[in-house]
Amino acid sequence: MKELRFAIYSIKKNLESSAELRTSFVTNVIGMAINNTAFIIIWIFFVKSVGVVNGWTALDIIALLGFNALAYGIVFSGGAGILWLPDYVASGGFDRYLLSPKNVLLRLCTSRFGVSSLGDVAFGVICLATYGILIRANLLQIALVILLIPIASLMLFAASVAAQSASFLFTDPGSVTRGLLELFITPGLFHGGAFQGATRFVFTFLVPSLVVGALPVEIVRDVSFPKLVLVAGVSAIWFLLSLSLFRLGIRKYESSNLMTFGS
Amino acid sequence: MKAIRPGIKLIRTLVRDRIYYPGRLVVDTATMVARCGVLLLLYSYVFRLNGGTISNTTFTIAAWSMFFYFSFSILRLRDLSQAIMRDVQSGNVEVLLNKPMSYLAYRMWWQLGAGLYQFGLISVLGALVLAFSIGLPATMSAAVFLPTMIAVVGLGILLSLSLYAVVGLLAFWVEDITPIYWIVDKAVMLLGGSYLPVALFPAFMYKIALWSPFGASQFITHTVYPTWAGEWPLKLGIQAMWVVLCAGLATLLFLSAKQKVSVNGG
Repeated sequence: MKELRFAIYSIKKNLESSAELRTSFVTNVIGMAINNTAFIIIWIFFVKSVGVVNGWTALDIIALLGFNALAYGIVFSGGAGILWLPDYVASGGFDRYLLSPKNVLLRLCTSRFGVSSLGDVAFGVICLATYGILIRANLLQIALVILLIPIASLMLFAASVAAQSASFLFTDPGSVTRGLLELFITPGLFHGGAFQGATRFVFTFLVPSLVVGALPVEIVRDVSFPKLVLVAGVSAIWFLLSLSLFRLGIRKYESSNLMTFGS
Repeated sequence: MKAIRPGIKLIRTLVRDRIYYPGRLVVDTATMVARCGVLLLLYSYVFRLNGGTISNTTFTIAAWSMFFYFSFSILRLRDLSQAIMRDVQSGNVEVLLNKPMSYLAYRMWWQLGAGLYQFGLISVLGALVLAFSIGLPATMSAAVFLPTMIAVVGLGILLSLSLYAVVGLLAFWVEDITPIYWIVDKAVMLLGGSYLPVALFPAFMYKIALWSPFGASQFITHTVYPTWAGEWPLKLGIQAMWVVLCAGLATLLFLSAKQKVSVNGG
């Protein structure tokens, strides 16, 4: 609880610091929201050309992008520090997190604030609200959306911790971790109806991109409780796995012995 | 010749560097598989559902068109904007402006050299995998295909560099160009035929793709369609026009930016 209070304090201070550059702050938030609409345009035209694929309509695509953007926004706004792990490891700046009396992962994640991710949050909320209105969602479906947002965020957080933990293994970790994270995020932005058979299995369990967006959409649309259990289970397992990978990574870490106080 | 000699030297050095440190190659291959590989798997499924043809286009043509987009993107020419912005924000631009080589030319050569090795290797490997797995469309064996594709790639590189240089140079006036970069980059992605092949574009979107610099920079994705044989003179002409306009704008902005820089000393 004490750790969590510190994390919230840290996020608040980072947010205040980012908001000082007001023009940059506002343009980043609006720019990211506009940036995300490109995917909506692409997949809506796809649905218009190809038609409904495995029950997936244009509305489901809006919800898919909503879940993805909201999870991304939640994880990488307050917790943007995780994306800096490769730089910290390469420069030796990670030393100061190890020396901190706080939880290392929590301290690392809350060390930076991703301003543009607030644009993702805004975009995600608008998409999910639009979806809810257009499908005339009932109370159960609204409750499922609210429940699935933290689950999807947990999955994305776990995937990013697992990918960034590779920083401890490579000499040029930045490009490797970026590639791994992209490997996870990109398939999640694709049309969910097109994942069937082997691809669905791979992207649910091995590279669980569908857990962030496609499966939550199907859970809300079909009010499917078995899928809800599956999504929660996969997220929990990946979360525990990512913590283990992070701990294993730390054991391999060797300080760069730079004559600085870290970066 | 004398003007491009330092550029060629820069490219050679960067290619050697990339060969020595293969990490970037591994990452770019993984990214190519994540984006293009998965996308092609999905499209093959969707085309099968629709009886093999969508909007009079076969899967083979759509797949090659999208592959060309992702292959071209390995050059990472879009990173030019961020590189210029970093130079301006860090103050490095002052040092680079004092070098005997034009700053803008230096940044462009650097960007080209940084991605050339991965681009060459992954494109050849990817093309071989695609050729053996789904085959070649008949349009790729036409006499006009290879020479026009080389021309369209060359003009596409020049146009992309000019376009992203314009965005990057705005960093001299705007404190953070990232939102502008996102919008331009997504316009290129949307109109270039990345996740949605050009053949599936609605008529109005195709017109925007045809006449805007964003779509024109990715005309490589148009080369595999049967209409290319009749359209290539127009499309190469549009690309050349945008190269002249964007390069001209980048030069004007650069000259104006140079006047704006004040060197404060270290």
